[in-house]
Formats: sequence, C-alpha cells, structure tokens
Amino acid sequence: MDRDELLRVLRAFEMEGLEYVLIGATAMGFHGLVRATEDVDLFVRATPENVDRLRRALRAAYADDPSIEEIRTTELLGDYPSVRYYPPSGDLFFDVMTRLGDAASFETIEAEVKEVEGIRVRVATPAALYRMKKDTVRPLDRRDAAALRERFKLGGND
Amino acid sequence: MPVQRFRSGEEMNAAPIRVPSGDSFDRFVRHCARYRALFPRRYPRGVFRFRTIEEAQAARERVANGG
Repeated sequence: MDRDELLRVLRAFEMEGLEYVLIGATAMGFHGLVRATEDVDLFVRATPENVDRLRRALRAAYADDPSIEEIRTTELLGDYPSVRYYPPSGDLFFDVMTRLGDAASFETIEAEVKEVEGIRVRVATPAALYRMKKDTVRPLDRRDAAALRERFKLGGND
Repeated sequence: MPVQRFRSGEEMNAAPIRVPSGDSFDRFVRHCARYRALFPRRYPRGVFRFRTIEEAQAARERVANGG
C-alpha cells in the first residue's frame, strides 16, 4: 500500500465531504494494531448524493479513471451493496459497502475521527471493529477480533 | 506472548502487531509495503459488484490464488 496514494484518497474523501467510515485492517492500523493488507474497506452512507461524492473523490484521486463511472448509484443502493474498485495504480483496492447483511451499515457503525497529515479520517472504533469480526468464520477475522479484544480490553457487551 | 509461530510468511504478515499509537499510520503503510514486496500480486483493474459479503470474499480469494 502506497502511503502517498492512500493519503491522496483520504484527502479527496474529505474535500468532497464523503460520509464514510473505515473498517477492516486499515481501521485497525489507525488504532495501533498493524497487519498487512492491500484493501481499504469502508462503509458509505447510502444516499445518491453520497455515492456522487464517492465518484468525485475517486476521480480526483485517480485522474478520471473511466472505470469509476461503473460505480452505479442504483446498484450500490439496490442489489449490489458491495463494490470493489481496483484503481490503475495496482497498489491497493477499495471495498466500498453500503450495508453488510442486515446488521451493519454506515449508520450503525460507531466511529471516531483520527487525523493524519491534517486529514480528518473517520474510523470505526475498536469496539465496533471487534463486534464486526468476532462472530465471523474467517480465521483472519477471528485473529483480528482476538487482537482487538486483548489490546483494548474488550469483551462482554462490546 | 513473547514468541509466536507461523507456518508461512503470509501467515506472519497477517498477524496483528501492536505499535505505539503515535506512529501507527506510518507503521501500517510500511508493513503493507513490505508485505507487497515479499508477496507481489497482480490485480485486475476496474469495478466489480457483489450482492453479498460472501460473494466479495470468494472473488478476493480467486484473485489471491491467481484465478
């Protein structure tokens, strides 16, 4: 994952006023739990205006990559709540979600703001990440959940 | 946990490590860059849509396995 590229995208998110929250390993990295990943997972608020903001931000970060137009509002808000975008750089990719099953969405994820190089980044809290990961079947997620529980003394109702 | 054991470099890179919160972002991106240097992958380009998280996960695994 290229540092400058990631910062460029996060800056574009802020400039366009995208309503989003980072989840997954990138969010864990902001909380001081570091593991390798090449994807940036995020929830976005599921409104047509916000999907417009997402496309504008990605166009700003990736110099009008035409494939960004394939991120369609009707799909993200309809039958395809998960979109994966591989930008031309090839260094990372984005998993953009409007909901995860019936349980999780932008509105339900508790978040906090972190700042890096003057960019405000909205990141899921450790407890929210733990809740998303603890009951999944992927070994990687279970390991993440265990690390979050230990690092942030989570458990019980968290 | 002074010693951890891993069956592969990929497994090791997937294990979360604790870092001081002050420089966690830079440690994170450096760690990811190191992983990419050790295990380079070719990704497709463009946009892919999924109805469920399971579909998305399966597609990710196909790419990771070179499919």
